Amino acid sequence: MIEQLLLAVAAVVVAPLLGGLLYGVDRKLTARLQGRVGPPIRQPFYDAIKLLSKDLIVTTEAQSVFVWGYLLFTLSALVLLALGQDLLLIIFVLGFGGVSFIAGGYSTKSPYAVIGAQREIFQMLAYEPALILAAVAIYMVDGGFAVSQIVTSGHPLLLSLPLVFLTMLVVLLVKMRKSPFDFAASHHAHQELVRGILTEFSGPHLAMIEITHWYELVLVLALLGLFWASAAWVGLLIALAAFVFAVVVDNVSARLTWPWMLRSAWSFGVGLATINIALLSVAR
Amino acid sequence: MGGQLIAVAVLLPVVAGVLVYLIPSPPLRRVLVIATGAILGITAMVLAGYETLEANLPATGLDWATTLGVADLLLTLLLIYLAVRARHSLASALAALQLVVVGYVEFGLGHRAEIQPTFALDRLSTTLGLIVSIVGSLICVYSLRYMDEHEEHHHVAPSRQPRFFLFMLLFLGAMNGLVFANHLGWLFFFWEITTLCSFVLIGHDDTPLARANAIRALWMNLLGGLAFAGALGLLVVRGHEASLRALVDGSAAGGAALLALSLLTFAGFTKAAQMPFQSWLLGAMVAPTPVSALLHSSAMVKAGVYLVVRLAPGFRGTPLTYAVAFAGAFTFLVAATLALTQTDGKRVLAYSTISNLGLIIACAGINTSLALAAALMLILFHAVSKALLFLSVGSIEHAIGSRDIDAMEGLAQRHPKLAIIAAIGIVSMALPPAGMLLAKWVAIEAGATMPLITVLFALGSAATLGFWARWLGRLFTSPPGAARARVRLGPIYTLTLGPLVAAIGVFSLAAGLIVDRFLEPGMRLYFAGDALSETGVALVALGLPALAVAIKPGQLRPAYMCGENVGGPSSEMFYTAGEQQERVGISSSLCRALFREESIVRWGNPVAILLIVILFGMGYR
Repeated sequence: MIEQLLLAVAAVVVAPLLGGLLYGVDRKLTARLQGRVGPPIRQPFYDAIKLLSKDLIVTTEAQSVFVWGYLLFTLSALVLLALGQDLLLIIFVLGFGGVSFIAGGYSTKSPYAVIGAQREIFQMLAYEPALILAAVAIYMVDGGFAVSQIVTSGHPLLLSLPLVFLTMLVVLLVKMRKSPFDFAASHHAHQELVRGILTEFSGPHLAMIEITHWYELVLVLALLGLFWASAAWVGLLIALAAFVFAVVVDNVSARLTWPWMLRSAWSFGVGLATINIALLSVAR
Repeated sequence: MGGQLIAVAVLLPVVAGVLVYLIPSPPLRRVLVIATGAILGITAMVLAGYETLEANLPATGLDWATTLGVADLLLTLLLIYLAVRARHSLASALAALQLVVVGYVEFGLGHRAEIQPTFALDRLSTTLGLIVSIVGSLICVYSLRYMDEHEEHHHVAPSRQPRFFLFMLLFLGAMNGLVFANHLGWLFFFWEITTLCSFVLIGHDDTPLARANAIRALWMNLLGGLAFAGALGLLVVRGHEASLRALVDGSAAGGAALLALSLLTFAGFTKAAQMPFQSWLLGAMVAPTPVSALLHSSAMVKAGVYLVVRLAPGFRGTPLTYAVAFAGAFTFLVAATLALTQTDGKRVLAYSTISNLGLIIACAGINTSLALAAALMLILFHAVSKALLFLSVGSIEHAIGSRDIDAMEGLAQRHPKLAIIAAIGIVSMALPPAGMLLAKWVAIEAGATMPLITVLFALGSAATLGFWARWLGRLFTSPPGAARARVRLGPIYTLTLGPLVAAIGVFSLAAGLIVDRFLEPGMRLYFAGDALSETGVALVALGLPALAVAIKPGQLRPAYMCGENVGGPSSEMFYTAGEQQERVGISSSLCRALFREESIVRWGNPVAILLIVILFGMGYR
């Protein structure tokens, strides 16, 4: 019980520090790849603190509910993961966080935000099936949906689920809002000054969304780490490698259109996972 | 005792309906409908206390077999009359064919042993009974006020409410009979009554569109009815006992029984508006909203899925079960995608219903005990949530004159109570912690044994999140300074919407407990998560709305319009060239180029027909 409580607290406190730091590394790496010096690695924290100290301005009361919903449900999903709960429940709770974010975008009567929200729906259409399929594939290998069971199973998932792992890399790119999947709101202002779904979020709310992204990043990286959970350090290395991969992909690819994203996420992402699942069923 | 209770559940609504029809006095109608609903609810709760219950028809001087035969024939004749009067040749032909089959089965084969028991109840039937008697009754009570408003809106005089309530109440009685019957002959009789009731109720407003959609519902359901009658005939000719029990426990095994099962499953598909029969349920929306609520939540479509879920153990382990699972999962995905294309609130709800029914049928096809438990959970939780959603959309339509999602923009300001009720309904449909999500969770866990089905589940599940998120956001769009209205719901609406909201609250906080204690004891074993984590998520969800209050008016600003906002309270306005003022208009429709209803239906229907052909192929061996 005490141990579980500690794990939950660690998830709440350590994850954003880790996530913020990773995004700092991301910015530094990206800057170097582009021949710039780049901001200090702690920059995301400076940004968040500054945003938090600003006045709160909204266009409708409901925005507050939806921003908090995004933060709290993403956080809940991470806590559930830390506690070794059911993988599907984690995905659904994470999904509600995403729904809350989209509803937040829709609730502002701004054309920019609504375009962003619609695109965020497309993002969700792209990654949600992949996540569920990954969970089902893991179930087929380990015979259960419980994260605690996956951790203790002793068999590295990556060996039986290499294609599902590739699918999860796509999910990582979408969730990090990286090129070529960064059309709802990009982290770097590659293409636009107005940041899509984020247009009407400012000050503390924007900071909360940023912090939620940190949680999300850690959550998705942790899911990637699960693919080699039998030895924690290998899992950690895999997650880090995936992160660097995402940053590099972001810098070498351009933002593409959403129909392209849906097609590629469904054919490449969902398709690969399906093939992996089919191979597993045949192997039995 | 048990037998009398069943008699009350089936006959009381019929008697009350006839009384309401014969004595057209509004106060009496009100008393009768509310009293019938209360008694039905209590009866259903007492019945739910029985683990199992069997009952036969009382031994009177009446020859029940002949009575049933005559009743079936009269009912079929009535359907023929209605089809011919509507000058619809296909419906007439189907009804005439059904007359031939029914006549042959009932009178052409000589005397047979009476099937015992006539009624057999278990968890599945009593849960359905609860839905019909409680949710269905609430919808009837809601109609008391709704229909007054409806007739006022449409200037209907003289009132056609006696006829309306006759068929609404008859519907409840027939549904109760349908879910309690073990005798397939009686089940068929109630089945055809629900077809009749839906035909009359869909056509209630008697506009050309209403008549056309009613006749479409009639012919599609008659097609299912004909398949049902065919199954009945097949069983009788081959000397099997025509009862649910015989079909399920394998005593009527063999090729004929399997074909009968596929015919009955097909009948279930038509009634549950599975693709390619989805159009009758969409067309049914021309009817007054309580009819939609009844058709979608507690009656009609639930009869279809009930039959499939009931028969599932009968085709476990046969190829038929894969065909059923695949057809259901296909409808789940396609209907969810179709819901994304719609902006009419009722059509979104309709596609969502069809999609969820597909999920239930897929669960029946997956056919493990876990999957069947998931199906039962989906039936229960969906009934409550969908009833609430339809009734709230009905009230919204009367309040703002439209049921388009775009017209509901900023409803939270104009009619806070209605917006919050609709939001509760939406949240309960797809998002944690509500029972629907728990059920979907179980469905996917159960579906992991059939990976191909899971791919369809995964894609459909994402589309579901998409269309609910869109609607949820639109309800709360509100420009600062918009006028706030306080609408009183009034006693009838409070009395009906209140219990549904309360039920959703209970299902959210204690879904795990309900499943554990009531629906499927022992199913907890399958959950990796514990009840605590689930309730924790529930509490987070329930606490969130309080945050809206924390925003002070001074913190509200109009949305960004490239710096061209017209100042002041009219903040939806922006300046265009020449200082002209334009209003911002935003539609919630999503990318018509990719998700077009017509194109999805154009390839979806042929695939669905192919799947049904496969279904029969699996049944015919």
